[in-house]
Amino acid sequence: MAGLELLSDQGYRLDGRKATELRKVQARMGVFAQADGSAYIEQGNTKALAVVYGPHEVRMSRSKTLHDRAVINCQYSMATFSTAERKRRPHGDRKSTEMSLHLKQTFEAAVLTNLYPRSQIDIYVKILQSDGGNYSACVNAATLAVIDAGIPMRDYVCACTAGFVDETPLADLCHAEESGGGTSLALALLPRGGHIALLQMDARLHQDHLETLMEAAMTACKGVSKVLDQVVRQHLQEVSALTGE
Amino acid sequence: MIKTEKVLHLKSSRGRKVRVVREHYLRELVPCYSSLCQAESEGKVLSADVTHYVVPDAGVTRDFMEILEFREIQGLVFTQTACQAVQHSRGRRQYNRLRSLLKDPRHDCVLFANEFQEYSYCPREKGEPQDKWQTRCVYQAAVWYHDHLAGLKPVVMITEDQGAVAEYSSLNCGVYVLSTLEYLRTFWPELQAAHELYGSIAQALRERGNEGTEREFAEHLPAEVLEAGIKSGRYTQGTLNVNKHRAQHEAFVRFDGSSNKNSELDSDVLVWGGKNRNRAVHGDMVAVELLPKGEWRGRTTALTEGQGEEKGEESQGQPMPTGRVVGILQRNWRDYVVTFPPREETQSQGRNSLRILATPWDQRIPKIRISTHQADTLQDHRVIVRLDSWDSTSLYPNGHSVRVLGRAGELETEVQTILIENCIHIAPFSEAQLREMPASSPERPWTVDPAEVVTRRDLRDTHLVFSIDPRGCEDVDDTLSVRSLPPGPQGPRLELGVHIADVTHFVKEGTLTDLEARARATTYYLADRRYDMLPAVLSADVCSLLGGVDRYAMSVMWDLDAQTLQVNRVWYGRTLIRSSYQLYYEQAQALLNGEEAEVPELDHKLSHLIEALETLTQVARHLRAQRDQGGALELEGVEVRAQLDEDKNITALVPRQPLEVHETVAECMIYANHWVARKIQERFPQQALLRHHPPPRQEFFTQLQDSARALGFTIDTRSNKALADSLDQAVDPQDPLVNRLLRVMATQAMSNALYFSTGACPVDQYYHYGLALDRYTHFTSPIRRYADVIVHRLLTAAIAVEEGARPAKASASNKELEEMAQHINNKNRAAQHAQKVSMELFQCLYFRDKDPETAECCDAVIYAIRTNGVLVFIPQYGLKGALYLRNREGQVVRVSQDGRCVWEAGSLQRSLDHVSTTTASGTSTFRLFQHVTVRVSVQTSRCHADTLHLELVSNRAHRAPEPPDRTPRAAPPQGTRGRSQLVQEVVRQAEEALLQAEEKKGRVSELSKEEREFRQSKTPNLYSLLEEVREQALLDLTASARTCATSA
Repeated sequence: MAGLELLSDQGYRLDGRKATELRKVQARMGVFAQADGSAYIEQGNTKALAVVYGPHEVRMSRSKTLHDRAVINCQYSMATFSTAERKRRPHGDRKSTEMSLHLKQTFEAAVLTNLYPRSQIDIYVKILQSDGGNYSACVNAATLAVIDAGIPMRDYVCACTAGFVDETPLADLCHAEESGGGTSLALALLPRGGHIALLQMDARLHQDHLETLMEAAMTACKGVSKVLDQVVRQHLQEVSALTGE
Repeated sequence: MIKTEKVLHLKSSRGRKVRVVREHYLRELVPCYSSLCQAESEGKVLSADVTHYVVPDAGVTRDFMEILEFREIQGLVFTQTACQAVQHSRGRRQYNRLRSLLKDPRHDCVLFANEFQEYSYCPREKGEPQDKWQTRCVYQAAVWYHDHLAGLKPVVMITEDQGAVAEYSSLNCGVYVLSTLEYLRTFWPELQAAHELYGSIAQALRERGNEGTEREFAEHLPAEVLEAGIKSGRYTQGTLNVNKHRAQHEAFVRFDGSSNKNSELDSDVLVWGGKNRNRAVHGDMVAVELLPKGEWRGRTTALTEGQGEEKGEESQGQPMPTGRVVGILQRNWRDYVVTFPPREETQSQGRNSLRILATPWDQRIPKIRISTHQADTLQDHRVIVRLDSWDSTSLYPNGHSVRVLGRAGELETEVQTILIENCIHIAPFSEAQLREMPASSPERPWTVDPAEVVTRRDLRDTHLVFSIDPRGCEDVDDTLSVRSLPPGPQGPRLELGVHIADVTHFVKEGTLTDLEARARATTYYLADRRYDMLPAVLSADVCSLLGGVDRYAMSVMWDLDAQTLQVNRVWYGRTLIRSSYQLYYEQAQALLNGEEAEVPELDHKLSHLIEALETLTQVARHLRAQRDQGGALELEGVEVRAQLDEDKNITALVPRQPLEVHETVAECMIYANHWVARKIQERFPQQALLRHHPPPRQEFFTQLQDSARALGFTIDTRSNKALADSLDQAVDPQDPLVNRLLRVMATQAMSNALYFSTGACPVDQYYHYGLALDRYTHFTSPIRRYADVIVHRLLTAAIAVEEGARPAKASASNKELEEMAQHINNKNRAAQHAQKVSMELFQCLYFRDKDPETAECCDAVIYAIRTNGVLVFIPQYGLKGALYLRNREGQVVRVSQDGRCVWEAGSLQRSLDHVSTTTASGTSTFRLFQHVTVRVSVQTSRCHADTLHLELVSNRAHRAPEPPDRTPRAAPPQGTRGRSQLVQEVVRQAEEALLQAEEKKGRVSELSKEEREFRQSKTPNLYSLLEEVREQALLDLTASARTCATSA
C-alpha cells in the first residue's frame, strides 16, 4: 500500500482541499474562429479543448444517416505531452475509443438531436494536460462548445467524478487520488432536472455507500454547472458587447 | 482559496525521473486548535495555561518521538511538514503511532496543517535541500502561530540542526529556537526519564549512523545481472529447499534440469547459514553463486532433536558444492499458518510494540513479523498469514494476518492447518454447481434415459458384473466381469471386462462442476475425513456403480484365449451395466477360500460369481507373472489406518493387510489402464495423458545397498528386473522384517510416478519403472481422480474418431495437457502429503491419549545408522522414527546386563553397520536390523505439529505377552487363510514356471540370458515365506504370530 494518505485526520486532502471542494475551474468559449463552436476548460491541472462542427450533412458513410435525428460523432484524444511521461498515443486505442463512446452517449442524451434529422454533429475533444477526471473535463468543455455552436440542448451537461475514502465521499478527484486505489465514480448530470446522462464506475463499492457517493457527485456536478453558467453568461456579455455596438 | 502548484521530482515505476506537478490549495482559515484563538475550533484544543507552546521540527519528530510522548510535555504543536516527514522516512507504523498520539485526549498536542495556510506556507526553492526546507517551513509555522495568537504565548521550536538554531533564534522575538537537549534542560530539568531516554536514543542514532550502511543481508542483484549471470553460467538457478531439521542453517538448492549449464554440478548446492541464504524462503526460485572450494562444507549427518544445538565439533559428511544466494528470481510465498506467542513473550518485545514475531507451523519458514492490534486475542491461535516483504535491513520478513483458524491443538484447527499448509483450498460445492447435477433422491432415484440406452451396449442381461471394494465404500468406480465365450478357431475363449463409472457423461467439459473438479484434481483423503472431487450426488450415487441398479459405464473388454490368455481383440466403449454383487475385499477373499460369507443368493448367480472370482484370480495371477518377468517391483509402503469409534476417538492403529483379492483387482485395473494407455497413445500420439515412472537415480540406492551389505546381501539396482530379483533374494529366514525394510528403502529411493502429455516426452521415457509397462495411464477411478476424467474424454474421442465421426471439439493441445498434468501432479503430491501429515497427527493423538506411565513399549528394528543415533521402524504401527543414543548433555545410552538402559557419560562410535556406545562401565553395540524395544511418547509443540518421541527401553526385541485385542485383525482366521494363500502362491509360481518354460521353447524372447538365469532362481516371495516361518515355528509361537500379523 502506498504511503499516500488521501484524507488526513484533519479532513484535508493531498492538495489541501476539503472533501467536498472542487478544484479550481476556469473556462473560455469561442477560442477558435473556424469551428462552429469551441471551448477550453481547466479543472485544476486537467486541461481540455473541445471543438464542435455542425450540424451538417452526414459525411460518414451514408448508411449511418438517421432519418429522425442527427448523428453525434465524438472523438476523444490525449496529447502526447498530457501526462508526466511523454507517450505516443495512437489514434483509436482502447481507452480513447471507450471514452469517445461515453461522450457520444452523454451528448445523445443532452442535445436535441431530433431537430436536425439526416445531419451530423461532430464533437472533438483533446486533453492537453491530464490530472484526473479526464472524462468530466471533456464533457464540460464539450457542453460549452456545443452551446457556443448554438446547438439546442435540454440543459447543460455537467460531469464530475467522486471517490470514496475512509467512509467519506471526495468530490472531483485529482490524479493522485484516482490512482490511489480507491473507488472512482464518474457522473454526467443534467442539473436542472436532475437527470443522469451517464454514470460509470469500474471499482467495487458496497451497495450501502452508493447512495452517498452519488449524492456527492451530483452536488459536485451542480457546483460545476454554476461555474459553467457563469462562463456562458460572461461570454454572451462579451460577445453582445462586441456585436451590439 | 488560492491555487498554487507544487513541482515534485519522483521516480517512475521504471526508474526514470518524472516531473510531477501537483496542485496545492492554500486557505486563510486553517484551525490552530488553541484555546486562546478567537475563532471557534472543534475537537481537541491546546490548553491556555502552559508557559509556552513547543513546535518540534521534522528531525525531532522523526527521531525523538518517544520523548514527545511524555505526558508532562504539554502544548505540543506538530506541523504537517513534520508529520509527512515521519510518514515518508519511518513508514506507516511510526506514523500511526503519531496519529494515535494526536487523537489521545490525554496528550496536550495538536496538528497544525501549516502547508495549507496561506501565510505559513513557504514553497521550496530551487536547489534547497529537503531538510533545510522542512526546518524553514516549521519555523515559518512557529512564527505564524505566535503572530496568530497575537503574541500571547511564547513559541519554542526545537530542532537538532545547530545551523538552524544559529540562523533563526534571533530573527523574531517571542519565537525561540532551541536544540532538544537545551530545551529539556531549560524547561524540564526535573524530568529525569526524558533525559535518560534522550541519551539512549541519541546513542542509538549515533550507532546507526556508524553502521547505517551495514545491513543484515547483502542486497539482491538486479534482475538483468542475474539473467546474464545465469546465461553465462556464473550463477545457477534452482529451487531452495530448507532442511526441515536444521532450518536455521542448512538449505539446498535443487536445479531444474534445463537451466543447469554447469554440467559438473550434478548434485544439489548447499547453502549454509542465514547470511548466505540471504532472505530466500523455502520454495523460492533463487540464483546461487558457488563459493570457492575451500569454503565448501558437508551436510550434517547427526540427528538433531528439535531445535537442539549440537555441541562440540559438528559431524559433517563429504564436502559438497556450497554457495550463497545472490538473488531471488521468483518468490514462491504461499499462505502460511503461524502461531502467535503467548502474552509473556509479546510483552518482552516492548509495551507499545504492535509487531509480533509469530512462529510458522512449517519449521522451514523463518519467524514472521506481524503487526496487529489483536495480539492479545490471538495468542495461542493459529492464523493464516501472508508474507509482504523482507528488507535487507531486517532479520525477519514482514507479514500480515489473513484469517484465524482457531486455537492451537484443537483437532479442527490442526486439520485445517494441514490443508492450508499443503495449499489445498476446499470450499463447499456452490449452488450453481449443484444445479448442474442430475436429480436423485431416496424417494425418486435417478433412472437411465431411454434415449441414452439405445446408444450404449447393454450388458445388463448378458454379463455378471460385480465390484470389490473396501468395506463401506460409497464411490464404486470400478466393476469387473468375466465369462467364457463360444470357442474360437484357437480354442476356448474368455471375456474379461472392466467397467468404469462413466463420469464424463455427467461432467461435461467446461461446466462448473468440471472446473471445480479440475481445480481439486483429486479427492483428498485425510485420516478421518475426505474431501470429494465431485459432488456427493455423483460420487456416491449416480456415478457410483452400486449393486442392483442400472448405471452408465465405460468399459474395456478383452477377448482372451482361455489357455494362453493371449488377447484376440479388445473392445472399448460406453455401456449400460447393472452390478449384481457389491463385495468387499474380505468377503471376496472368503468366497474364494470357500468359506462361509454373508453373500445373498441372487437368482442362482452365487455359483457363477464364485466361478468368476476364481477365473479372475487365475487371470490376474497370469498377468502378474507376465509383469514380474518384465521386472515389476513389489514395493512396500507402510500404510496404517486409524480405526475411529463414533466419537472420532482413535481406538487402534492398524496396518493395512494385503489379501490376494486386493492384488487380483489391482492387476485387472493395471491391465485396463495399460490397454487404455495404448489406445489413446496410438490415436493421439502427441496429446494423450499418460503416467510414467522414471527410473530412480542410482545414487539414491546407496543406503539400501549399504544396509543390505551389512547383512551379507547384494542388491543389484541396474534395472528394475535385477532389483526385483535381488530384493526377492535378500531374505533373512530369521527375521521376515528384513526383507520388508529393504523394500521400504527401495521404495524411498524411487521417484514418484507422474502424469505427462505424450507430446512433451520422448517415447523412451513413457516407461513405467515400477509396474514394468511401456505405457500406462489412469483410467479406472474417474470419481476420485481428474486425470481419469481426462483419459475418459480422450478415449471417447478416440472411439468417435475410429467410428468415422469428427470429434465434436478439438481435444486439448499438448501444451495445455502438459500444464494440466503438472497441475494434477502438484495436487496429488499435496494430497499425499496432507494425508501423510494427517496420519501423523492421528498417530500423535493416539499416543497422546495413552497413559504416559504405562506408555507403549513396542518392538522396533534399526534400519539406518546416524552419528548420534539410529533410525528405527516400528512394524506394529508402521512408524518410522529417530532414536537418539546421545542426549543433549552428551550422555550416551548404555545397556546394562539385564537389558535396561541407562544414560551415562561416554562416547559414540559409528561404523557402517553398527553403532556402539562406550562408557566407563562397558560398551553396547547396536547393529543394523537389530530388534530393540522402544517407548513411544508424544512431544508436544506449541507452534508446530506434535511429534512422536522414541526412547530406548531395551536392546532386545519386545516380547511382552500380547493382549489379544491389541491387534484386532490378527490371528483368528490365520490357519485356513494362510494355507490357502500358500496354495495360491504355489499356483502362481507354477504359472510363472510354465510361462518361462514356454518361452524357452523357442518363443521370441526379449529377455537377456542373464535375466533368464535370474528367473530360474526366483525365490518365493513374502507371503509364502512368512507362512513357512510361521509353520516351522522357528521363533516362539506368540512372537512369530505377531510379526506375521503385523507385517503380512
